[in-house]
Amino acid sequence: MKKPLMAAIQTSISEVMETMFFLPIEFGRESTLAQSGMDKKNMACQLEFTGDVSGHLILVVPETLVAEMSENFMGEPLENLTPEHLAGTLTEMLNMVCGNALRKTDAKTPFELGIPKMMDGSKIPKKQVFTIVETIESRMAVLLTIGE
Amino acid sequence: MSYSILIVDDSLPMRSVIKRTLKAAGYGNAELLEAADGKQAMELMKNNWIDMVITDYNMPVMNGLEFVKAIKKEDLSKDIPVVVVSTEGNDAKIKEFMDCGAVGYITKPFTPEAIRDLIVKILGEVNYEETLDGGDTDFDF
Repeated sequence: MKKPLMAAIQTSISEVMETMFFLPIEFGRESTLAQSGMDKKNMACQLEFTGDVSGHLILVVPETLVAEMSENFMGEPLENLTPEHLAGTLTEMLNMVCGNALRKTDAKTPFELGIPKMMDGSKIPKKQVFTIVETIESRMAVLLTIGE
Repeated sequence: MSYSILIVDDSLPMRSVIKRTLKAAGYGNAELLEAADGKQAMELMKNNWIDMVITDYNMPVMNGLEFVKAIKKEDLSKDIPVVVVSTEGNDAKIKEFMDCGAVGYITKPFTPEAIRDLIVKILGEVNYEETLDGGDTDFDF
């Protein structure tokens, strides 16, 4: 189940990033955050889901990319945006990606999403291998965990 | 004619995006009220005239489905059209909302046109010239 779900998540990331954030993306190699050079100044959030399978999705994005996404999403210059706007943009992105991906799966039981929550930097998994998503000038990382 | 539209979503950026979409759709004159969950929205509805509600589903405190059920139970609010804008879009969930009295359901991510088309269908076309400074009439975000 993990493979088709991750494929749906990748399609959803592309759709959400292009439709709501106007940022085209490509998928890079899977790696740890350190290996991908993403071990500093990140924001992260997590969303739990239940259904045919249960699990959670973690999204890690550099602060500079969250700022760019927020500007694009809200149509406001960075100086008008607060930390709440930035965190809200990140959690909303994860919410849209997860909801959109779960809709694409052939599930017998409809999935239910939790409420996306910001993660403390110290809780971001350091040794886990993430799927890396490349934008033109930056990158973000996604980690799917199922079976919990 | 100026409308009063209540936007209910726990995401501050998403409320801003919906407000911007409404202004771009010609509802720059509308009074746009905001609430972060169904309970806050119910409080706002006690003291404000509302022509239409746009609500998320997945919210803390009181989710969108509980909120729609609560609206439809009250004589004063049962006729207010409710549109759901949510990431969750399985058929069973959509049917549940429609059975409770919602008049439309849009899944995120959405295009501004999807929101505009549904709102116009419910409230009717507005005269763009009546809109104030927020009245951009295109969707070039």
